[in-house]
Amino acid sequence: MAAQTTNPEKAAAPGAIATFLAALGGGFLSAAHTAGGMTILFAKILARTVRLRIDARELWKNLYKMAVKSLPIVVVTALFTGAIMVIQAATIVKRYGAEGLLGWGAGFGTLREIAPLLTALMISGRVGANNTAELGTMVVTEQLDALRVLAIDPIAFLIAPRFIAIVSTLFMMTLFADALALFGAAYTGQALLGVSTTTFYNGLTVGLLDFGDVASGLFKSVVFGLVMALASCHFGLATTGGAPGVGRAVNATVVTSAAGIFVLDYLVSFAIGG
Amino acid sequence: MISIQSVSKAFRPAGGGPPNQVLEGVSLHVPPSCLYGLIGPGAAGKSILLKMIVGLMKPDAGSITVDGVDVTQASELDLQKMRLKFGMLFQNNALFDHMTVGDNIAFPLRRLTDLGEDQIKDRVMERLSHVALTGFEGRLPAGLSGGQKKRVGVARATITKAPIVLYDEPAAGLDPVTSQKIFELLREEQRASGATVVMVSSDLDRLLTVTDRIGMMYRGRLIFDGTTHEAQTSTEPRVRQFVHGLTEGPL
Repeated sequence: MAAQTTNPEKAAAPGAIATFLAALGGGFLSAAHTAGGMTILFAKILARTVRLRIDARELWKNLYKMAVKSLPIVVVTALFTGAIMVIQAATIVKRYGAEGLLGWGAGFGTLREIAPLLTALMISGRVGANNTAELGTMVVTEQLDALRVLAIDPIAFLIAPRFIAIVSTLFMMTLFADALALFGAAYTGQALLGVSTTTFYNGLTVGLLDFGDVASGLFKSVVFGLVMALASCHFGLATTGGAPGVGRAVNATVVTSAAGIFVLDYLVSFAIGG
Repeated sequence: MISIQSVSKAFRPAGGGPPNQVLEGVSLHVPPSCLYGLIGPGAAGKSILLKMIVGLMKPDAGSITVDGVDVTQASELDLQKMRLKFGMLFQNNALFDHMTVGDNIAFPLRRLTDLGEDQIKDRVMERLSHVALTGFEGRLPAGLSGGQKKRVGVARATITKAPIVLYDEPAAGLDPVTSQKIFELLREEQRASGATVVMVSSDLDRLLTVTDRIGMMYRGRLIFDGTTHEAQTSTEPRVRQFVHGLTEGPL
């Protein structure tokens, strides 16, 4: 008589599937919770903004802290980004003697994609993470509750100014990065390839690039700014669990912002054709 | 007047498991112009009750009315209006990190009143001298000791002369002399302004010298509500043990 045996892997299979499905469902619920929370927060911010119920002093303070203080990192990033674009194009330019297209080549990628994307990632790391840490610390130390007890609306006083400051910062920094990256590309082209800045400028303005290319990148910067501002404010306000909770909130902001930026970049590029 | 009716609250642990019942059927009334002391061992639900009175947390059941307004049913806008009547000191002070001591204390006046900057400055200086922190107005909270932060919190909670003031551990971290001064200051101000005050404190020796009434909470329930004299002479074993600091007893 053959002995009856059970396959332990087979016996464990339903449990493993259930665990996987539970984890998958949990992930979807968590994503839906985050998206819902960010949407509600956006509605609250919008309601205060259209009624001009935002604190002007906080707005200026945050614009200085977020935009002006981000200038050094944006300058470095943009100048080297332009230079890298030229280095990448150098082989083709030399092989085909296409010096006249260097401006177009560097400008096309920079204006439409690289400048808004890299600026968004840099600002996300510097401003978004910092914003979450500040708000998270205020939540766990009851400073937000103190504002409420003082009959002050935290959305109007703290959140809306930060939201507007982040979106404006990213827009302005992208515009700035566009110019600086082209500046870096032009002088790197001259130094490495001997392409004069006049030739580079002509390549930019000969008609292959137009305002639509600049506008496309700037539109993306606004979309990236929205997702970054909402994520950083949402996770900051949702912080629980003391100092470790602040760390988790900052981590969630960085990951959500970066993922959101790439996904939205794809969707916006697809929608506006580049 | 603050009226609390059958208030219950439970927290559900994030990872599942049985709910943690932090308040259970709590009913109490704080008459106008009364200095009410709320006492009890740690995790009895005292601080949560204070937060519910000011509408920062909602109970699962029951109602809380403040001057006729049901805090548990009020909209965020109504709560905002109602909170103009409140001053509050938080257990961990909740000072705004990015503001100086002077700006922290002046903040409610700047946001909620039409007072000129000179008047605000005078009021801030007067508050600082009351809490023995003259000359500290330019410092940031991060540079203060725990006791100094507490005193700044007391100054901020009292600067608007609100008709209802809630203090969560006003003397925690203070030396006995400063602690006594703070209690006396709070009592003097309450007498002068006629404010209704609810004070949570573990410093029973000093608290009992200033309160009109005492409520004792234990494991989320109000087990005693009476005058300070009744609390001191109570024969209820838990109240007696806690008020007299006895090591032997049911607690």
